[in-house]
Amino acid sequence: MGLINFLVYLAIMMGIYGILSLSLNLQYGFTGLANFGQVAFFCLGAYVSTIIVLTFDMPFIFGLLGGMAVACVFGYVIAIPTANLKEDYWAIVTLAAAEIVRIFFLNEDWVVGGGPYVGGSFGVGGIPQPLRSLFSAHTYPFFYLAIVLVCLFATYIIINTLTQSPFGRVIKSIREGGDNLPQAMGKNVKKFRVKVMAIGGSFGGLAGCLWAHFHGFISPDQFMPLETFIVWAMVIVGGKANNKGAILGAVIIMVFYNSTRFLKDYIPVEAVTLASLRMVAIGILIVVAMLFMKEGFIKEKRVVYSK
Amino acid sequence: MLRLENVHKSFGGIVALHGVSFHVEPHSITGLIGPNGSGKSTSFNVISGFYSKDRGEIYFQGKKIEDIEPYKIAMMGIGRTFQISEAPEKMTVLENLLLAPKNQIGEGVFDVFLHPKKIKKEDRKHLKNAFEILELIQLHDLRNEYAGNLSGGQKKLLSLGRILMSGPMLILLDEPTAGVNPTLIKDLIVAIKNLRDEKGKTILLVEHNMKVISEICDRVIVLDFGKKIAEGTPEEIQKNEKVLEAYLSGSSKRG
Ligand SMILES: Nc1ncnc2c1ncn2[C@@H]1O[C@H](COP(=O)(O)OP(=O)(O)O)[C@@H](O)[C@H]1O
Ligand SMILES: [Mg+2]
Repeated sequence: MGLINFLVYLAIMMGIYGILSLSLNLQYGFTGLANFGQVAFFCLGAYVSTIIVLTFDMPFIFGLLGGMAVACVFGYVIAIPTANLKEDYWAIVTLAAAEIVRIFFLNEDWVVGGGPYVGGSFGVGGIPQPLRSLFSAHTYPFFYLAIVLVCLFATYIIINTLTQSPFGRVIKSIREGGDNLPQAMGKNVKKFRVKVMAIGGSFGGLAGCLWAHFHGFISPDQFMPLETFIVWAMVIVGGKANNKGAILGAVIIMVFYNSTRFLKDYIPVEAVTLASLRMVAIGILIVVAMLFMKEGFIKEKRVVYSK
Repeated sequence: MLRLENVHKSFGGIVALHGVSFHVEPHSITGLIGPNGSGKSTSFNVISGFYSKDRGEIYFQGKKIEDIEPYKIAMMGIGRTFQISEAPEKMTVLENLLLAPKNQIGEGVFDVFLHPKKIKKEDRKHLKNAFEILELIQLHDLRNEYAGNLSGGQKKLLSLGRILMSGPMLILLDEPTAGVNPTLIKDLIVAIKNLRDEKGKTILLVEHNMKVISEICDRVIVLDFGKKIAEGTPEEIQKNEKVLEAYLSGSSKRG
């Protein structure tokens, strides 16, 4: 793989994970919802979009919107019964929910509507890339990068606008004071939590869709709980409750994640060892961030109003 | 304005409210006093819906308050502060104040994108109000400081500020002067009186400082062991045998 190709690939990954990171940052950084099942949204977006485009032969944009919609509904649905749970229970419930989603796609290998969707443990291949025929093999990644960047930018604008609005003030107060204070101010805390999960879900689903159509192949083992861990690392290292920080975190972690692949040129290690080394590297990065930069690279911005 | 009838509340074996009945007149300042553990904060929590009562009835403006979620009670026009001042630590003083107004347009997800102008206008209106309140609670210089960096007394002032921003009809204040420095207490007293006299609000407050009580309360209700033991003007209460006894025995019996 040439250097340019590699850099474009890396940038695409940064963009997709940047969206995931922004989504988790809205949930955890701003609202204090410790979602340990972020990968569920990613997985749903990837599968639903794939099924829509591949099985039902619909255009990419329908896959994208459908993936977002299903992940949105999923966020909404898991939040309703759990919205009043304490943080630790919340973590367990979301972790379990994500595994259920993954195992569902692992075990369901039906053929829908006579189409070619054959999932299960074999995964699904041949996922079409949008407007692929208009580009050469060499230029297509640049086009895809443009799609990803547009999506990342849109996600940033939407989430950033929300977090700076009165809506953002309420979710921050939920993060800070638990339920009592916002409730005493007449805020329906549960409803805000559910909304945040639904919005977080939509963007998680968007990332999943972009991921599936870039790689052209998805399988359940790509959506292990480890993915959630990587996204958490991005939020913590980049700076929680700061949207630029969430994107920077995705950039840093992706660099780390992919840098280990060059290690094998210098140190004689096996691929399997390398894969676990990556996780060790990210783990160390989290620990270092927590010790020396508690608030991550970019701190939460203090909101200053002037008369 | 507010009426409690035979309200009971216990926590496991502890009976916190044992058939409490009292009422609060509109446009009055009513004091709720009693030794530690007599059920004052529990009364507040039951009224504002943070605890569900075991038995009894509560009426607000003639309407019975059912067991509904606290935010709904707040929406009806009952505002409260907490004995231990809760303040969103990593939000500034101004943010805290701007959080308080109810039903802000910008609290709706779609509204944020559909009505940016209206939201800006509304925010500006709230901001203007907030700056006036900042003067009153003397936190103007700290307006962009995180609430977590305020002293206990300043947090009390901030919770009063939030109440002022949200404009409820009935205001429940749980020990508003505890930890507030004496010179500020004078201003607080003026501010609370103004709420009644100029804004027509009704106030129920828990307070330990008898000077404050005699200075601002129209009526005082005394609780002991979850029961009302006396009621009257501050002068009457201070002469009441039962009240004196409750307070004197309070320290030894309750440790
Ligand atoms: N959440 C709770 N759980 C258990 N006991 C409580 C709770 N809240 C209050 N109590 C008990 O109820 C009684 C009344 O407490 P409270 O209303 O806080 O008194 P105070 O008059 O000092 O405000 C006390 O014995 C207290 O220990
Ligand atoms: Mg109390």
